Amino acid sequence: MNDIPQTLAQMKNRGRRLIGCFPLYPPLELLHSFGLTPVVLWGMNGSVQNYDSSDRHLQNYTCRVARGLTGFIIDQAAGLFDALFMYNACDTLRNLPEIIATEVELPMLRLHVPALPEERTGAKGYLQDRIRSLVKDLEQFTRRPFSADAFMASTALYRKQRALCRSLDTLCAAGGIPFARAAEVLQSAHVLGVEDHIAVLEHELAHPPSPARTPGARVMASGIQAPPATLMEVMDDSGITVAANDIATLARSYADCPPAQPDPSGYYCDFYFRHYPCSTMLPAGDRRIEVLMQRVRDSDIRGFIFFGEKFCEYEYLEFPHLQDRMKDRGVATLFLEIGAEDLANLMPMKTRIEAFAEMLGH
Amino acid sequence: MTTDTAPGGFRKTSSGRRLTGIIMNDYLQLHQRAADGAFVVWIAIVVPAELFAGFDNVVYAVPESHAAMSAGKGVGTLQCEKAERAGYSTDLCSYARIDLGTALDGGRDSPTFGMPRPHLLVSNTNNCSLLAKWFDVYHRMWGVPHFILDIPFCYEEQTGADFAYIKAQFADLIRTIEELSGQRFDEARAREAVRLSGEALLYWKRFTSLAAHRPSPITAFDSFVHMAPILTSRGTAQLVEHYRELVAETEELMAQGVYPVPGERYRLLWDSIAPWHQLRKMSARLAALGANITCASYTYCIGSLEGSFDAYAYDGGDPLDWLARLQNFSVCPHGMKLRVRAMKEAIERNAIDGVVFASNRSCKVYSLMQMDQMRSIRDTLGVPAVMIDVDHADERKYNEEASFVRIEALLETIDALRGSGA
Ligand code: SF4
Ligand code: SF4
Repeated sequence: MNDIPQTLAQMKNRGRRLIGCFPLYPPLELLHSFGLTPVVLWGMNGSVQNYDSSDRHLQNYTCRVARGLTGFIIDQAAGLFDALFMYNACDTLRNLPEIIATEVELPMLRLHVPALPEERTGAKGYLQDRIRSLVKDLEQFTRRPFSADAFMASTALYRKQRALCRSLDTLCAAGGIPFARAAEVLQSAHVLGVEDHIAVLEHELAHPPSPARTPGARVMASGIQAPPATLMEVMDDSGITVAANDIATLARSYADCPPAQPDPSGYYCDFYFRHYPCSTMLPAGDRRIEVLMQRVRDSDIRGFIFFGEKFCEYEYLEFPHLQDRMKDRGVATLFLEIGAEDLANLMPMKTRIEAFAEMLGH
Repeated sequence: MTTDTAPGGFRKTSSGRRLTGIIMNDYLQLHQRAADGAFVVWIAIVVPAELFAGFDNVVYAVPESHAAMSAGKGVGTLQCEKAERAGYSTDLCSYARIDLGTALDGGRDSPTFGMPRPHLLVSNTNNCSLLAKWFDVYHRMWGVPHFILDIPFCYEEQTGADFAYIKAQFADLIRTIEELSGQRFDEARAREAVRLSGEALLYWKRFTSLAAHRPSPITAFDSFVHMAPILTSRGTAQLVEHYRELVAETEELMAQGVYPVPGERYRLLWDSIAPWHQLRKMSARLAALGANITCASYTYCIGSLEGSFDAYAYDGGDPLDWLARLQNFSVCPHGMKLRVRAMKEAIERNAIDGVVFASNRSCKVYSLMQMDQMRSIRDTLGVPAVMIDVDHADERKYNEEASFVRIEALLETIDALRGSGA
């Protein structure tokens, strides 16, 4: 998705009411059922000219996700979005709503998702209560009542979209589409309306851009965001097959989808408490390691590339253990850390990926 | 009472000596009771430790507090390096690195011989969420259960729904300890511990409020040092006694005209965690400039509700109510509007001339709104402020000269404002 502001402006011109959301797993179905088009403000780095706007507010030891999204909202939100939505995820993000509000006057809807396992006393009840309260906020904001039918229709759309995303992953794992291309199509989910994204996915699956390639060394890619396109292209060109991905903007976002039900408070209990485990979801730590190791086995993974998000403590605190577990299974690991300032010179990382691919090839 | 006054407030007072004894004794007791079979809990700094007093034989240790002490005793960098060699990023919070380095090396080089191995880990998303990931490392390494307390961040004052959610989690924690330790919880004992903490915090508030006097009889560095037993001795008579005597002693020094910065010309406020590796040096160098950092958001927040300044007194009611209501007290779990409100109060009550915002790359929750907070303080109160880079526990990330160039510029601005009659 090369020009996010232009895409958003086009949607806006077509009469869509856009709601900018962060972080990655907002209640998309619910927002959509109120006639809003949720846009997930992640990976905005390519859409900000520089970090000047965010640097007025955030120190340079803030991760590039937060700098990118703050800068994007400050520079572009006016006229594009009708509202913003955020839920709690990390220590950096929780400071952003008030910072953003110093420059951008937009309604801000918020949700606190319990960082507790489902079975803990009060966890479910609290989340249900928060969702009901969010429904009320949305009713007030959109001036329309909640509709269970509309909600069911929205969940059906997102279910279909997530299933198509997984199909594209399967195609990528079989060498049927380069990782760089698959990731571009998959990540466009965040800034396209779900209906448009479904059309893009269906087209892509029916007409993969290149003939099937001979599958190469089977690798799992992990991290908060897919790496910059040039690094993915190097992976493709080096003969690496991304046989599984554990990237938050990709598989972690669409790997699971809860059963449909007309009550959003029940639906989102399933959604958040049983979400595909992500480093940003605190109670999922144990499950995350199990799921990753299972996927390593199922997909016959030989190498693990971790695209670390510089200054993301969640990821930092997991990597040493993950690395040990991979080593125990004979999986080679490569750790690449990417910060905002690294984007200007990716050459050393390209070289390391090529060397890693060569090592796996032997 | 005897005192040897050194510039900058590092006075060898009887309270200082008592403090050393309390901390040493707390750690000795911790090791001794653990060795004798007590149930050991490692907790995040704001987990309500008073609850453990409700059990016969539960002891607790606070990794953040231990990390602060390690940094203060000069072994912070050494422990950080151990964690870094094990693969933990240098960009990770230095408390976490110190603690991981200490644990991975079996407590070696620790001023307290480390901490006894826990039976339960209790983290808290309150001050920061990374604590839950940090405690997960031990959970995986030692197979110890990990209980997370999830405290919603406050942009406004704590809501009723959040209060009930927090209280239910405390009750859950009690049940969990009962199940794991086989001990029964006695509410009356926890209530007494809460009463004692409440009383101790009233004295603490009296102590920090002495900064309103001109010249100030205390420095923020005194409050950094004396906050330690709030973390290791919560809910004890010893804590009440310590602060009661600290107040009495400080008032007596005032009566004798003994002040830490006798020629006090600049009264400053510090916004961040204490720079543990710099306490002595920084306070002495400031004193030589006639500057006194009289108060700090890190310590004036203790015992207040989010965004306020006065103590939140315990009324003798349900102890869980008081503990739950006070959960967002420290600066990190509440938003900028509330932080600014409390800071304005601190500035006005303590007649502050300037604010030092210590931007701390180790602690994003504390730091990532300081640029806007600084603008707000400057614009609404006309109080000059400066930002310096400090890591609270990793000395390698602190540049003394660069920091003092800025602090001196702040003092010059204060002089210029005085000269202009502003
Ligand atoms: S990358 Fe990490 S630190 Fe940055 S916003 Fe995401 S979870 Fe927070
Ligand atoms: S990040 Fe800040 S609040 Fe969290 S443990 Fe470190 S110093 Fe404490």
